[in-house]
Amino acid sequence: MKWTKMDMEKYIDAKEFVDTLLIPLSPFKMGDDTSLEKDAFQQEVLHLFVHEIEQQLAGRLLLIPSYMYLKDADKEAEVKRIQLFLEDAQKQPIEHVFYITFDASWRKHENELQGNVLWVPSIQTGDLKSKEVQSLIGDQVEQLSEYIRSYW
Amino acid sequence: MSEKKQQVSRRQFLNYTLTGVGGFMAAGMLVPMLRMAVDPVLQTSEEGDLKSVDLSVDDITNEPQLVEWKIDQVDGWYESEVTKSAWVFKDDNGDIIAHSPVCKHLGCNVTWEGSEKYPNEYFCPCHDGRYYKDGTNVPGTPPLAPLDEFDQKVENGMLYLGKAKPREEA
Ligand code: FES
Repeated sequence: MKWTKMDMEKYIDAKEFVDTLLIPLSPFKMGDDTSLEKDAFQQEVLHLFVHEIEQQLAGRLLLIPSYMYLKDADKEAEVKRIQLFLEDAQKQPIEHVFYITFDASWRKHENELQGNVLWVPSIQTGDLKSKEVQSLIGDQVEQLSEYIRSYW
Repeated sequence: MSEKKQQVSRRQFLNYTLTGVGGFMAAGMLVPMLRMAVDPVLQTSEEGDLKSVDLSVDDITNEPQLVEWKIDQVDGWYESEVTKSAWVFKDDNGDIIAHSPVCKHLGCNVTWEGSEKYPNEYFCPCHDGRYYKDGTNVPGTPPLAPLDEFDQKVENGMLYLGKAKPREEA
């Protein structure tokens, strides 16, 4: 399910079936011209990924809005903030938490985050409409959702 | 004199702002009404749009296979390309069936023989929903309705699919 009015309506009646949270972690930085294009592109890729995964597993997984942070911000502080989000989310019957990101700097903090981190390959550049990129994404989505399912 | 002029212009400014806000609220109420009026028109144009799924009828077997195709979906003002998919096979009478993979419980994607435990059935990984080959939901599993079926036609030996429709009870 997605963070939309329509899906939330469904969610309230069916929440005992929805036990998995998917949180995209999205770095953001405007100040540096050299990385703008690449960052935006990766953001688009991530967006595609989460939507595909959500579509596959819509009945049991809730995709929430991206967690945005400044790219070079102190991750310790971000971990603390994310923890606050989770504490709130866990007022609902959530059992599994997955983060999804292409930002490799989370690797060092993987253990501090409650839940599992999924990595999407950082496709450097390319055409999202091209067959190659789409089939690459398709394969990865397949694997990622299989991974999520292995926790159920 | 100049002070007075300034006061007027400030009052005018406020006035403009308020009219603006009021206008905005009116628009907020109008839009849904407009939608209601226009919606039926938009919908009819969507109907009956069958798209080739790039599959020759000869390649359709008794075993459901997953086909994917793209359509341009107009969602309000937002137009996007979405990928659709269907499980396609020929039933015992040789008729082509195209099932929607969307589980009727809460909308996960089902897979033909998705679980080793249940051969010859569709399986939904989310809450172990199951459907027989003809799309009928297996009683006692979460789904309460059969899988939707796509509108279809065959032209020049190729399969075209349209909208997924709830199956009418036979
Ligand atoms: S969404 Fe398919 S069984 Fe619940």
